[in-house]
Amino acid sequence: MISAKPTDTAPLEVMNYVASRPGACDEVFDEAGNVKAHWAQLLSSLKGMGFDAFADRQKKALRILRDDGATYNIYDQGDAGSRTWGLDLVPALISSEEWASTEAGLLERAELFNLLLKDIYGERKLLRSGVLPPEVLFAHRGFLRACQGLDLPGEHNLVLHAVDMMRDSSGQLRVLTDRSQCPSGLGYALENRTVMSRVLPSLFRNSRVHRLAPFFQRLRVKLNSLSPSDDQARVVVLTPGAHNETYFEHAYLANYLGLDLVQSGDLVVRNGFVWMKSLAGLSRVDVILRRVDDWYCDPVELRSDSQLGVANLLEVVRAGRVAIANPLGSGILESPVLLKFLPAIAKALLGRDLRLGSVQNYWYADAEDRAYIDAHLDELVIKPVFRRPGERSVCARELSEQQRLALKQRLAAAPLDYVAQPLIEAAPMPSFDGRALQPRPVIVRSFAVACDNSYALMPGALTRVGVDESSFHISNQAGSLSKDTWVIASEPQLNLRDDEQPEPQANQSELNSLPSRVVENLFWMGRYAERAEASLRILRTVFVLLNGEEDLPDTVRRILLGAVTKISSTQPGFLEASDEELADPEARLLGVITDANLVGSVRSNLNAMLFCSDESKELLSSDTLRVINDIRDALGELDASFKPGLNSAPEEALDPLVTALMALSGLVQESMVRNIGWHFLQLGRRLERGMQTATIISEFLSPELAPAEQNILIEAMLLSMETLISYRRRYRARLAVQSSLDLVLLDTSNPRSLLFQIEAIDEHLKRLPTNQEPRHELQPEQRAILEAQSSLKLSVLTELSQRDGGERKKLSDKLAQVGELLALISTQISDKHFDHRESSRQLVRSNWEF
Amino acid sequence: MKYRIQHVTEYQYADRVSHCYNLAHMVPRNTLRQRCLSTQISVSPEPAHEHRREDYFGNQAYHFEVQRPHQKLSICSSAQVETSAQPFADNLDFGWSCSEVRRKLEQSRDHECLLAREFLLDSPMVKTVAELKKYAEPSFADDKPLLVCVRDLTKRIFNDFSYCPEATTIATPLEEVLKNKKGVCQDFAHLQIACLRALGFPAKYISGYIETLPPPGQEKLVGSDASHAWLSVYSPGEGWVEFDPTNDSLAGEQHIITAWGRDYFDVTPLRGVIYGGGDNPALSVSVDVARL
Repeated sequence: MISAKPTDTAPLEVMNYVASRPGACDEVFDEAGNVKAHWAQLLSSLKGMGFDAFADRQKKALRILRDDGATYNIYDQGDAGSRTWGLDLVPALISSEEWASTEAGLLERAELFNLLLKDIYGERKLLRSGVLPPEVLFAHRGFLRACQGLDLPGEHNLVLHAVDMMRDSSGQLRVLTDRSQCPSGLGYALENRTVMSRVLPSLFRNSRVHRLAPFFQRLRVKLNSLSPSDDQARVVVLTPGAHNETYFEHAYLANYLGLDLVQSGDLVVRNGFVWMKSLAGLSRVDVILRRVDDWYCDPVELRSDSQLGVANLLEVVRAGRVAIANPLGSGILESPVLLKFLPAIAKALLGRDLRLGSVQNYWYADAEDRAYIDAHLDELVIKPVFRRPGERSVCARELSEQQRLALKQRLAAAPLDYVAQPLIEAAPMPSFDGRALQPRPVIVRSFAVACDNSYALMPGALTRVGVDESSFHISNQAGSLSKDTWVIASEPQLNLRDDEQPEPQANQSELNSLPSRVVENLFWMGRYAERAEASLRILRTVFVLLNGEEDLPDTVRRILLGAVTKISSTQPGFLEASDEELADPEARLLGVITDANLVGSVRSNLNAMLFCSDESKELLSSDTLRVINDIRDALGELDASFKPGLNSAPEEALDPLVTALMALSGLVQESMVRNIGWHFLQLGRRLERGMQTATIISEFLSPELAPAEQNILIEAMLLSMETLISYRRRYRARLAVQSSLDLVLLDTSNPRSLLFQIEAIDEHLKRLPTNQEPRHELQPEQRAILEAQSSLKLSVLTELSQRDGGERKKLSDKLAQVGELLALISTQISDKHFDHRESSRQLVRSNWEF
Repeated sequence: MKYRIQHVTEYQYADRVSHCYNLAHMVPRNTLRQRCLSTQISVSPEPAHEHRREDYFGNQAYHFEVQRPHQKLSICSSAQVETSAQPFADNLDFGWSCSEVRRKLEQSRDHECLLAREFLLDSPMVKTVAELKKYAEPSFADDKPLLVCVRDLTKRIFNDFSYCPEATTIATPLEEVLKNKKGVCQDFAHLQIACLRALGFPAKYISGYIETLPPPGQEKLVGSDASHAWLSVYSPGEGWVEFDPTNDSLAGEQHIITAWGRDYFDVTPLRGVIYGGGDNPALSVSVDVARL
């Protein structure tokens, strides 16, 4: 993350870029030390802008990225590992001429990898003719024997091809890696572009930058063309889920391309086809753009313990009834060993040498290479042939003596599994590190998509910047920044915007065809948000009363604290607490707020709510996402506020969260389209509020109490329900059970009254898809809501406020009855509309790695 | 020899299974010494979708999807096959020597040789370890014909190990089998494969059936035959030669091949995913191999 701090250095000098090592190769300067033509304008603009203005734009960019929810999740760090995507506002520039030659090389490379993929899962001529040693395929875990013979419609099996490149010190571009199974970065490149054009609009406009939108249009067209069906194709993006490191991009791409974002559980194979489970039932899926690694995609034939795939998917692919891009099995193309043989492969498959060379690769299984690696270990980067989670490349010279020894043992034990590449000293490029423009090495990831009978290259790229001057330390996991990459046109570009959507598509993801998982998450998002808010409100009220001038009577204290437990559902909590604990409730109250492991605590409810919002991100507006970020922040600050224990006015520390939650419900009300998702979200909210309201009223008004004590509790109830002021205005201060019941139970002009919730639920239920068919018998949930409504409306308040013995039994009975009806409605909704996945198991338990 | 084979597999589940997806390797394949005259496979309850195909190794793979709730799943595979013995008598004192075989494997550009190298590598269930190599070494000498050495190893495994179905499960690692000297045909096949690969000789796993003959004077019991497993080793020139360490023999007419692969993982008779079913399904298998 960039933090812009003004320094003592003079702004003009700070924004002045000078070569790190005069004479060495640099992206910006030519051999004579002059600024290259296409960089000149940018550098002078930056200088003209000055430090303050630039740092200010950088802050603005960060804010936009954060509001868009652009994150990159770091493994092994749980929730704390979600990082805002880092964008360095200094773009990477490529001139048109240079791009033209690079483009030709990259397109040729994509063609070659396509032919290679076809050969690997087809005739394997390369192997039979001795071009490739058999072990290159047979020893690689990405060579999936189950994928033999799979073919996509059209000329190309490889739909997307990405390449990581670096310019070495001789000025030559070199390919480091090919990414071929589900290349990430497309969405981030697009987001970078969108942000750049917003925060540096004039610089962007004046620079004649090639647009990215046509590339995405091609991708969309290509995906549609893979569909085996003649009807409008349903194309989905298959994501491993919200915890994947690039989940933001999955959701962003799905939205931009107008595709459904689905997870493993949203898809099912039935009768030889793939279906998406939606509210309207099952809808057929024709094309899957996958972001799940291939060996996880089908637990029947591939990794049998995978929870990210779809059982029997491969059989549907084989029958040609669904197309997957990139095809299953394409992971083998990422083997770095292939790069060693690429020149020979090119000769065999294309009949010529490749224009764009790869970096030299040494394979430890090859006798000559092994000797070289052993002799030059310090100059090399050792890479695993097959990327496993957690296994990274290592730079031998950075290892301790002990680590080197361990590395050598690993190499000797599994020579087939390792390659080495020379550590390239990359030509640097200016990067803004928050203080000044610094020379930094960069890696450029380019993307090609198959179209008709050739490939098309994205005229731009995702550029990542080294965290220091060594070109080894460039990766998102290491916290690298990224750059938008501008291919500078020699001709002015037509003035079309990049954030323009591809051609409008029929409303594929409209209304009922939302995956039922998304709708379920919206429903629970509503419930958790409301549950957290109810807990916060009761806690605030309790704090105010506990810290009040007068000592609370023990009975009142017991009821108040008991209500905290009941509202938050953290039983037993205060319900079975001793007198001492009731006298000193601080520790337990703190737990109800901040303990993430206590189910029902404010923190656990909000964590659950945030998870649900991540899962249904694509349906939330950017304003909503911003408020959700505020909630995340406020949650983060809770610990700091409560670390010293409860201070003099602990209720104030809860205010930011209550405000943020209110803002969320306001936004949902004001800016969310009234589609089926909205109705579910509101249903969740209203059901939860209804149940909480019934609990509060019952807790505070039904027990047997002396009049003075009763008054404290009436006030507490009204305060926590935000209706004390209306009450005072209406009834002039005199607190009474009957009049307060009128306000909190029956007054439909009060958005916190119980009847208000019931009527709202009734309205939302009418809009649910299954209830629109003409059917005369009421559904169970309709009966329940009618019963709740009638029961409340038929209330006689004098009877309800009358004491029956000591308690108000009629009141508590009625509230319990309404609470049960609401719970029944919730269960009905869940049973009818949400998917209840049975857990699957392997027929033969296996834990073999292959 | 002509045989009729009937192989019935039944799973009885504790709870209802709502649906399942499976892949079976239960239909015999054609090989150089075996011809399938007819094959048939059926599943109850009736599958919503089924598909038979030839897999990567040339085996018959049968996929099916059952969509109706069931508590019992049965798969019945029947076939008529004609087998012949391998073209070698039990005297194997001919062909390339061990060192010659290694050299050819490394240098030959012959297709068969190149493709055989797939079976030199570790596979999901067979990982070579030093102990296995050490165990195998006494059977081998550089200047001896490879097949003689393999035959000797087959005999040693037969003598050193005892057949004991309770000793292992499908997940028992080879080191443990080697230590306890107990197992079943799968274990012995895997063990010999690992030994051969450790020494640089390609070996593949074969699953199938073996005809058993009742003791003299007794009638053969229905269902008493068994699924069986053995292995095949590659010698350039002679091609693939099958050995059966469980019976201390070369595979002969009575060995009926269903499928082959790198190890059991590639040819598991039935694998898949079920939804529901509860714990510990009861599995019963009956195999009949009848001479025609």
